[in-house]
Parts: sequence; structure tokens; C-alpha cells
Amino acid sequence: MVWLSGGMFAIACLMILSLLAFVLWQGLWTLWPRNYSIYSRNDGSILGGELYSKQSIDGQDKLYLRTGNYDISSRHFAYVSSLELSDETPWTDPDLWLVERKEWGNLYGFPKDLSWTKSAPEEFAKHVALGLQETSKIDRQLAVAKDQLKRTDHQIAQARLGVRRVELAEKVDLQNAVETGSVEGLSELAKRAIERLAERNLRADEAMIQINEQIAELEAKRSERSIVFELPIGQELGKLDADWSELSAGKLKDASGFATLLGIESDDNGAGISEQQISVKQVGKGHLLCKVQRQNEPVRRLSIRRLADNSASVSTLQEHSILLADVVRFFPPNKLGFLERLGIYASRWWEFLSGDPREAGMEGGFFPAIWGTVVMTIIMSMAVIPFGVLAALYMREYAKSGWLLSVIRISINNLAGVPSIVYGVFGLSFFCYIVGGYIDGGPRKAGFTPWPSPVWFSALAGLAILGLASFAVSVLSGQAETRRSPFRATLRWAGGLLWLATLAGIVWLLIRSPHFEGFYQAQLPNPTFGKGCLLWAALTLALLTLPVVIVATEEALSAVPNSLREGSYACGAGKWQTIHRIVLPYARPGIITGFILAMARGAGEVAPMMLVGAIPLATELPLDGEFPFLHGSRSFMHLGFQIYSLGFQSQNSEAAKPMVFTATLLLLAIVTLLNQTAIWLRARLRKRFETSQF
Amino acid sequence: MNRLKAIADGQTFESVIHPEVLSREPVVAIKDFSLFYGRKQALYNISMPIVKGLVTALVGPSGCGKSTLLRSVNRMNDLVESVRIEGDMLLNGDSIFAPSVDVIELRKRMGMVFQKPNPFPMSIFENVVYPLRIDGQRDKTLLNQVCEQSLRGAALWDEVKDRLHESGLSLSGGQQQRLCIARAIASDPEVLLLDEPCSALDPIATGKIEDLIDRLRGEYSILIVTHNMQQASRISDHTAFMYLGRLVEMAETSTIFTRPTLSETEDYVTGRFG
Repeated sequence: MVWLSGGMFAIACLMILSLLAFVLWQGLWTLWPRNYSIYSRNDGSILGGELYSKQSIDGQDKLYLRTGNYDISSRHFAYVSSLELSDETPWTDPDLWLVERKEWGNLYGFPKDLSWTKSAPEEFAKHVALGLQETSKIDRQLAVAKDQLKRTDHQIAQARLGVRRVELAEKVDLQNAVETGSVEGLSELAKRAIERLAERNLRADEAMIQINEQIAELEAKRSERSIVFELPIGQELGKLDADWSELSAGKLKDASGFATLLGIESDDNGAGISEQQISVKQVGKGHLLCKVQRQNEPVRRLSIRRLADNSASVSTLQEHSILLADVVRFFPPNKLGFLERLGIYASRWWEFLSGDPREAGMEGGFFPAIWGTVVMTIIMSMAVIPFGVLAALYMREYAKSGWLLSVIRISINNLAGVPSIVYGVFGLSFFCYIVGGYIDGGPRKAGFTPWPSPVWFSALAGLAILGLASFAVSVLSGQAETRRSPFRATLRWAGGLLWLATLAGIVWLLIRSPHFEGFYQAQLPNPTFGKGCLLWAALTLALLTLPVVIVATEEALSAVPNSLREGSYACGAGKWQTIHRIVLPYARPGIITGFILAMARGAGEVAPMMLVGAIPLATELPLDGEFPFLHGSRSFMHLGFQIYSLGFQSQNSEAAKPMVFTATLLLLAIVTLLNQTAIWLRARLRKRFETSQF
Repeated sequence: MNRLKAIADGQTFESVIHPEVLSREPVVAIKDFSLFYGRKQALYNISMPIVKGLVTALVGPSGCGKSTLLRSVNRMNDLVESVRIEGDMLLNGDSIFAPSVDVIELRKRMGMVFQKPNPFPMSIFENVVYPLRIDGQRDKTLLNQVCEQSLRGAALWDEVKDRLHESGLSLSGGQQQRLCIARAIASDPEVLLLDEPCSALDPIATGKIEDLIDRLRGEYSILIVTHNMQQASRISDHTAFMYLGRLVEMAETSTIFTRPTLSETEDYVTGRFG
């Protein structure tokens, strides 16, 4: 038995460890800058890439390369089998640059020319770095200008909403008046709204022209500077009639037709290529890369491969020009020392944690997703904690135990096991469509027919009487309790049922009200709260984690020794005094633990998020510096959902895989951090209640 | 033995209470008191006085209802849902079970100490002044004064005076129980109820508690439940012997232990049964 149980324990440990190790390895390794290797293929072409992984299958190696240059090759990653390669040892060229771009992902290539300055190749890095400082300034100005544009749009939209509100309030059609500008015969309110819209439009028109000009100017400035790269993709120039062994020994100059191929023969000075201007590097067995460096000319790189008859075919590398302003980060990956790599690694992590996403989330940062998750979790906790703790307090301290309480307790325990997607469906249909629709456009929008006004008012009167009756019965029941009257149980039940009926009546009257048209009627048919958004996502999760909080709180309360309660009562303390001075402090560690576990569960939940408000790319944060700061009606990005949408819903899931692992690591780290905090807190608070009895 | 058998058979039974007990002024007078847990009757028509300024011990075999009787005095049994009572008790002439009585105010007039020490999870100081705290007392000097007085009264002051702000749970078992006694006397109670206060303590701690009870005699009226005959004979002035929910005999302790009226009492105190 000890072997069996021990074995199971070992297997469990192994599984957990391997999961952790896998995610850690994949997640941590993704952002590390690797060497860029150039391989020579049997068909004579060359293929370059960062080696992400290598698997051995059936005697051949399968290499997984990040090839980049998506705009030319239309792929980010490529699998290549070692059988396709003429030589498995690659060439890592120290001159090659990796450029991370704002669009199209990584570019790998040899910098050839800078459009704005003449300089030696060794100086390129310095000039690009200097140039980037200027372009980032332009980009900042652009962002400010675009922000202004957005604000102007927003103001016009607000003015339009104002007109629409007047339309709804006065039940008139102002469309005509808005178009013609004639306000005769309209109410004062309508006149003011229309005038405001006209004024805003006028002001916006002026501002727009100015801003658009500014933007055009900045865009032009932005596209002034570009960098020309030679990409490691060959373009055949022609054949060289020469002996391969001589070529590979570097005697290119003499090969017949080499200068012609390069178009050098017609040089005015009559100078051809000297031996010093050509450097040759062997890539594979039948492949050379050579660099021609002549005075007053940009460096040219050639790819030369051996043909069957020992002659050679020459290819130039494809040229590609990119805007300097599109560069995010650049470095020569093959020339880096360990510390430089570490620096780039750190800066990539920083971007990942604090930057905005690029390329539909496949590159760049996850900040909006992290922020969205955190804000949502905080709102969720604020909703679930008071609710859950008070409910548990009632069940454990106030309610008289009986079959009803047992049934409720079992139901709550079962609720904790309901699949989370069920909560998602509930959240969508109840919160988003019914409650959200009600807030947006009143009962009609939520799908309820309002009552006629007189009926509704008489029902209101009835409800008031019901409320008074419940109050009266509760007071009576309280007195019966102190007198230990035989009717106390009946009164207790009657009071509870009456209160329940009152509550139901309030809800019923609300959804049948003929006098409520919603807070966001003017925005319709665009929903404000009648769709998935931060508020509903948080409330759905609050509902999902409610059982966790209730169960944990109940357990914490039941762990409070009864002798403490009795001791407190014996001192003449009341019920509430006992609860708040003795029971709650003693149960606090347990309650906090439950709360943090609920937070961890809520932060990691994905399925309901898909239905009630998480979106793959949000332009606005749910909590920002713009009034009213917390935007409950905005959709948001969520870390867990981001993993799902990147890994399975993006147009290039294969390319997004490394990012998925990094995001997984981050999510795992957040959840682990929350759980660790819970454990630490519990241990710390428990220490205070430790007793040294006997 | 016949009387005990009669009691077991459920026949009515007349308690024997010696006149020297009845002649003194009682702090609590129990009047024809019966108590039911649901349908089961736990106490049968008990009438007895608890004399002011003296220590009264309740003895009897397990399950005889002595703890139930003690807990009825400050109505701790109210917390049990199915409890029903008949009869009444008077605390210094005021009814305890009348419908108009505020049970919280009532409990403030008594102090109670339980079998197992139950200090609250707060500092020693806060433990002692808890009864004042729940009355909303915030006067620092008064609280300090009551704390010192009560701790001195419970013979704990010298041991804890330098660490009043450490957790009450950091004390040893015997100290914890004395802390509970300090808490019980902090509100200057009219009667002190001790429910087997030494049953969870070692002999040395027990000895200290007994010394303490001896010191409190005269100043406080004490009702103590105990299992231990020697303890009852050592510390109490009056002893009441209970059996199956009835009071059998009550007298001065020396009388009960040396020349009780009923042979059953003698059998019990000499250890022949129970």
C-alpha cells in the first residue's frame, strides 16, 4: 500500500511539476533574443530564421524557424526538415539586423542604405538610433492630434445625443430642423440643442481642417526617412562559368562574367573589383554568401550556389525598404553578448507588461488585458464580498437550523460546481439583455409590456400596504421572540414571507413601470449597457464566485469555538456585539482566504468572459483618466480570453503560439501570486490566535 | 437507596433543605423551577436559595442537571432553541424569567466562568475590560483601573502586569482560567457562576483557583458546579446534592459531608455510588 500511494503521489507531483516547467520554459524562452541562422537548402535557395525548437522524428530533424519578413514571405514561422538542407550547420552573420516593427512583425535583413544620410555601414546603428528619437517625437505629436480629432468627434456626438433627447422628450422630429437650420415654432429646449449642434459642427469643421492638415504634415514627415534592407531571400542574377573549388577559396574576382553580372564593368575609372572588396563566407557545402564592398557604393550581398557542373549561380539578395518611423527596436542578434541579450530580454518583458498590443495582439504588450483583468476582478470582489459574507453570516449566526437551511446550503454547494459557461449564458441573457436593456431603454427594451398608468399606481399603493404589513409583522415577531411566545415561529415565517413578497412586488412594479424609458434612450439602437461590458462581466463573475465566498465564510464562522460566543453572551454582550467583536475577528483569516481564492478563480475564468464582455482588441481601457474614470459600459480585454483568442481565433495562430505561452505564464503568475497571498495572510492571522494551552 | 429508585421511577420527591441555609438572606432564590429540553424534562421543581456572600457548591453524578441549573441562572439556556421552563428565579428580589426582563441587562449583573478557559482572541487588557467595552465605556483611566483591580482580584496581576497587551491566548491554561475569572468580576457581579472551573486544569492550577475562590468568599456570592467531592468540601460553605434533575439535600457543607439527613447523600459523598 505504501508503494501504491507513494507512486500515485509521485505521479501527481510529476504532472504538476511538468506542467509548471513546460509553461515556465515556453513562456520565459519566447522573449529571449536568439541567433539568426541562415541555412542552405538542397534546391539552392537559402532560408534564414531564429531557431525556436528542434524535434527529431524518424531520423530527421524538424526545425521550427521564425523567419519573419511577413510582408515579403507572407509567413512568420516555417518548419523545415533537415533532409531539405544541404548542411545542418548554419551561418550566423554578424551584420544581420533584427528589426521589430509596428506593422508586419519582425524584419530580418542586412542594412544597406539609409535614405536620409550617407554613412558607412558601421555607423548605421548610431544614425538609426538618433533618427528613432526624432520619429518618436513625431509619433507623439500624431497621437495628440488624433486624440484631438477623437475628442471633437465625441463633442459632436454628444450634441447630437442632446438633440435626440429633446426629440424623445417632446416627441418631435427635429431631423429637418437640424438639416435646414430653421428653428421656428420649436420649443426653447429644442432650439438650444439644435443651436449647440450647429455651433459644435462649425467649430469642429474649423478644427478638423487644422488638425487634418497637421496630421497630413506629420504623416509626410514620418514617411520621409526609410531604411533599405537586403533580405536573406535570393533573386537569381545569372550563371558563373568557374571552378567551384576556386570560387569557394575566394577567387571570385577572376570568375568570368562576375563583374558583368554585378554591372560593374562600365565603371568610369575602369576599376573592377579588387580582391579586398570581396569577402566570401561558406554557408553550406555548396553555398557561399559574399559581400562586395566598393568605395562610394552601398555594400552588396550575393548568394552563390554550386551547380551540378561545378559552375555557380549568383543571386542578389532582395531589397526591401521600410520606414524608420515603423521601427520599434533593432539590434544585430548574432553579434550580441549575454548582457546585451539580457537587456533586450528585459526591455521586451517591460513592453509585454506595460505596452499596447501590436499586430492584433501577436506582438507588443498585454497591458490592456492585464489592466482589464485587474479592474474586473476588483469590481467583482467589491460585489461578491459584502454579499457573500453577509449571506453566510445570516446562515450561520442568525438563521434557525432546519430543513430549509439545509436545502439552501446544499444548493449553494452545488452552485459551486456548475460549469462556468452556464453562468456566462445566464449573465448574457439576464444582465446584458434584460437588466442592461432595462437600463438602456426601459421595460419595453427589456421585453416587458408596461401596465397602464392607473393600474400601476394602484399596484404601487398595494405594495406600500404590503411593505407596512411586513414591517408590522417583523416588529411583532421581535417582541414575541423576547417573550418566548408560542406564536413566535409562526410570526417569524409570516414576516419572512411578507418581506419576500414585498421584494418581489418591488421588482415586478419596476419592470412594469410605464413611466421609465431608460437612461440611454437617446443612444438607441446602439446599446450602452445592453451588451457585454465590464459591469456585467464583473457581476457574472461575482455570481460565479459567490458560492466559494459563502462556503469559505461559513466554514470560517463554524470554526469559531462556541465557548467564545457563550463567554461573550455571559458577559452581557448582544448578538451583534458578539459577532462583530468576537466571531468576525476570529473568522477573519478564513474569510479573507475564501475571498482571495474567489478572486483567483474569477481572474482565471474565461468561458463566461467570452459571452459577457471580453473582446480581443479594445481601443479604450475600462478605467482611465477620462471622466467618469470607471467605464462600466465598455468592453474590455481579459488575459484569459486573450490566450484563447490568440491561440485559436487569430488569423495566424501558429505565429501567435509563443505569445500564448508568455500570456499563460503571466496568468499563472497572477493566480499563483493571489493564492500565495491568501496562504501567507492566513498563516499570519492564525498566529495571532495561536494558544499555548498546556 | 429507595428514594433514588423512586426518583428514577419518576415519583414526586420532597427535597431536604436544612433550616440553617433557609434562614440566611439569599442572593438568588430558585422557586419551583423546572426545565424541559423539548419533551424531555431536565430539572424537576427545584427550590433552593443561594446565600449572599457564601460559596454554594452543586454536586451530583453526571447528567443530574447541575450545569443546566447553573446555566439557567443567567439564562444561557435561552441560546438552546428547544428549551422551555416553568417556575422562576429571583436575583436579589428581581424576577429572572419574567417576560419583561431584558436578558442582556440581566447577564450584566452576573459573571460566569466555564469548564474550559475561553479567553477571547484579543489582548489580556481587552479581555478583562470586555464587559465594560460592550457597554460603550471609553474612559481610559477607568478601564485601566478596572483592569488592574480585576486582575488583582483574580490573583493574576503580578504575573501579567508587564504584558497586558499580549494576546490572552498566550497564557497558560491556569492563567487563562484566572483571566476568565478576572473578566467575570470586572463588572462587579451580584453573583458569580462557576461551571466546573477546574476540570480542565492540572492540580497546581486547580490549587491556585481554589485559593482564589477562597479569597473571593464574602466579597462575592458564588455558585460553583463541581465533580470533585474534595473540592466541594474544601471550598464551599453550602452544598446541594442533586440527582436526576432533583435537588436531594442541601445544607452547610460540613453537615452534608459529616452527618447528612438522608442516607443517599451520605452514600454519594462517601463515594459509595455515582
